[in-house]
Amino acid sequence: MSGLSATFSSPLMQRALLEAIMTGALAGVVGVHVVLRRLSFFTMSLTHATFPGLVIAELLGISLFTGTAVFGLVVVALIALLGRVRALDSSTATGVVLAGGFALGVVLISSQPGFTKDLTAFLVGSILTVQTSDLVITAVVGVAVVTVLAVLHKELVLGAFDPANLAALGYPVLLLDGALLVAIELTVVAAIPAVGTILAVALIVAPAATARLWTDRIGMSMVIASTVGALSGAVGLVVSNQWDIAAGPTIVVVVSTIFAVSLLVKGVSWPVGRQAAPRAASPVG
Amino acid sequence: MSRLFIEPFQAGYLQRALIEAVILGIVGGIVGVHVVLRRLEFMADALTHTVFPGMAAAFVLGGSLYVGALITGVASAVLLTLLTRNRRVTSDAALAVLLTGFFSIGVIIVSRSRTYTADLTTLLFGRVLAVDVAQIIATALTGLAVLVVLWALHKELVLRAFDPEATAALGYSVTTLDLVLNVLITLVVVSAVRAVGSVLVIALLVTPAAAAQLLVRRSVGAMMATAAVIGAVGGWLGLVVSYEGSIHHGWRLASGGTIVLVLTALFASVLAGTATVATLRRHGRRPGAAATTLEAAAS
Amino acid sequence: MTTVAPGWDTPALVLDAVAVAYDRVTALDGITGTVAAGESVALIGPNGSGKSTLLKAILGLVPLQAGSITVLGRAPTAARRAVAYVPQQDALDAEFPISVSQVVTMGRYRRVGWVRRPGRHDKAVAAEALHRVGLSDRAGDRFGTLSGGQRQRVLLARAIAQDARLLLLDEPFNGVDGTTQELLLGLLGELRAEGVAIVMSTHDLSIAQVACCDACVLNTHQVAFGPVDEALTAEHLREAYGTNALLLVSDGPSPRA
Repeated sequence: MSGLSATFSSPLMQRALLEAIMTGALAGVVGVHVVLRRLSFFTMSLTHATFPGLVIAELLGISLFTGTAVFGLVVVALIALLGRVRALDSSTATGVVLAGGFALGVVLISSQPGFTKDLTAFLVGSILTVQTSDLVITAVVGVAVVTVLAVLHKELVLGAFDPANLAALGYPVLLLDGALLVAIELTVVAAIPAVGTILAVALIVAPAATARLWTDRIGMSMVIASTVGALSGAVGLVVSNQWDIAAGPTIVVVVSTIFAVSLLVKGVSWPVGRQAAPRAASPVG
Repeated sequence: MSRLFIEPFQAGYLQRALIEAVILGIVGGIVGVHVVLRRLEFMADALTHTVFPGMAAAFVLGGSLYVGALITGVASAVLLTLLTRNRRVTSDAALAVLLTGFFSIGVIIVSRSRTYTADLTTLLFGRVLAVDVAQIIATALTGLAVLVVLWALHKELVLRAFDPEATAALGYSVTTLDLVLNVLITLVVVSAVRAVGSVLVIALLVTPAAAAQLLVRRSVGAMMATAAVIGAVGGWLGLVVSYEGSIHHGWRLASGGTIVLVLTALFASVLAGTATVATLRRHGRRPGAAATTLEAAAS
Repeated sequence: MTTVAPGWDTPALVLDAVAVAYDRVTALDGITGTVAAGESVALIGPNGSGKSTLLKAILGLVPLQAGSITVLGRAPTAARRAVAYVPQQDALDAEFPISVSQVVTMGRYRRVGWVRRPGRHDKAVAAEALHRVGLSDRAGDRFGTLSGGQRQRVLLARAIAQDARLLLLDEPFNGVDGTTQELLLGLLGELRAEGVAIVMSTHDLSIAQVACCDACVLNTHQVAFGPVDEALTAEHLREAYGTNALLLVSDGPSPRA
């Protein structure tokens, strides 16, 4: 135990720990909606396609958060639009955007000299270099997102379960879906310092997927998911520090292990959602 | 003109890169048609991430990246097939966790190396310009094997893609057919990953086929031929653009990424083109004319 | 190429106390009946009554918890080549790049075997089947460009091309237009005259009375299995559907001669 308190005596580690816990908790809550609506691939595409936003923000010298967030909104719109093309399935659109967006980021960043170090930070996180400003951003985003999700809770759940009903009742389905997608995007961006773009989806999906195995109630899912997320962040950080390995991936391995163990304990019968129509569900509408 | 399109390929290393890129474009495009028709994009993406730890381990141990990727790749193909069989609703959450978990293990393995960040970059983005003859031969042979199996099982795989119920009713094992396809996808991923890297392989499998789907819906075979052409052109043009940019304009454009960007641009062009044609056709029709086919009525 | 065929006096289908369960939930229980060559039975029951499950069981695609199914004198898995399944057309992707004639030819795949391509004879059989459903002129069109009823006909043509002895149809009359309905009824009659046995799930009681000689009324448990007039009584239907709201059942002889 004394080793642990020694580890966390430095402000660097304290900031890292706080970031890990906050990010994990936020991602867990948002993740419940992602899992509910089967948006894991979409979120994956979001995380990858947002990458060029990071690079552009860095190149332009503007706040990484703002640049990435704005770019992310463009990506959301793009996938939603492409999903409406009749001959294209939404998962195909998601795949094209994922690869194209990421390639753009790769090309932009590789055009700069000395890029490998920055790149790694963007891709798999660099939680140890987190600044107080990052903590503030994560906290603000966290509060904002959780508030919005709480306020719109029953509408979002209805929309996930029965979008036709939601529309029939007169709700602005597009706005509601859009609000959720924006919340997901902001969470992705907030998670980048901790785990980077490629792994952000793990922190969002795994705690929520774990929660789904243990409970059927959405409210309880959020509690479990945020706890698992925060815990994984903390434990992952400690482990990575002890063994001198990259923090972001370690956090992900921890949360994936928790999920895998839950899967084994609960039996591998993953709860199957409503029967899919031949076309895959689009994230919007 | 020739400066633009021919000059880049005087140098040996670029000739090799071109051959590699074109082979991958063709094979990826053809296999990608199945990926797109059966909405396997996420599964394919998962496979690209699960080969990563194998590659990372091989890299750190100084072994063959190809073999490392192959081992974890085929193992995950089997695992994923079992995980997703008999489900009309794929558990995409489980898939997402699986692939990021595997991927993280790979990153951790690489992070133990002194040249961590540079190594990670190489593995993630590939180095098509560093392709040697041995690699080309491996790619060509793998590609050939994949295409032969696809050709032999063509009618069964198309049947399965179109009507899994009838496939089972006729007595075929849908799970076995799926396993075969997933292994074929894995082989494409494994051969492409050294050239364009883990993250961008998905583009070779999805983008050319997606563009082909917009252009051609006559038959699966026609779609495959179109996708192969688009894939090959993307590979070639991508190298041309990155060379032109790097040598003549001083922009250092990563070749793998540029190939994917070109493919995406081709896709966007096809999309814009077909959308325009469809809109023009709609407005060209006289308002009172009766629709003669269901398709015309529905568009 | 001839397949080993049991004699025409072997019943096409024998169901004996068939029971199927999914995860401890009973899907089918006590289904018993026989279908001889050239006979047809309608599966009547509300949604979720196990009609699709029964069809899958006859194909050997779901394990039985109890009882037995004999298809053409053999176990279901052994008889698959002689059994053709016609699914509902709306389960298929309308955007799929496949032509009408290709779909019909799919019925021949098992005879063609692995690796080989359908030969001239196979294509001729497919063309003939397509002709029988009246869609020869659409052979080269993409499957998805046809109307719902036309697609259903193409799927029936696929089953005909298979040269099967037992035909299983899943709600074939759902959402089809009048022309298709008449055509389907006529075709089913022709097939029966050729000795093909038919099992057909349907909601439509009047179709059942016209098209089938027997009916199996079920709601997980078997309510009745016998000649249409005896099985489709108000009492049996009440038991299966659970309400009195069935207006079209006549207690007199069926309108069919």
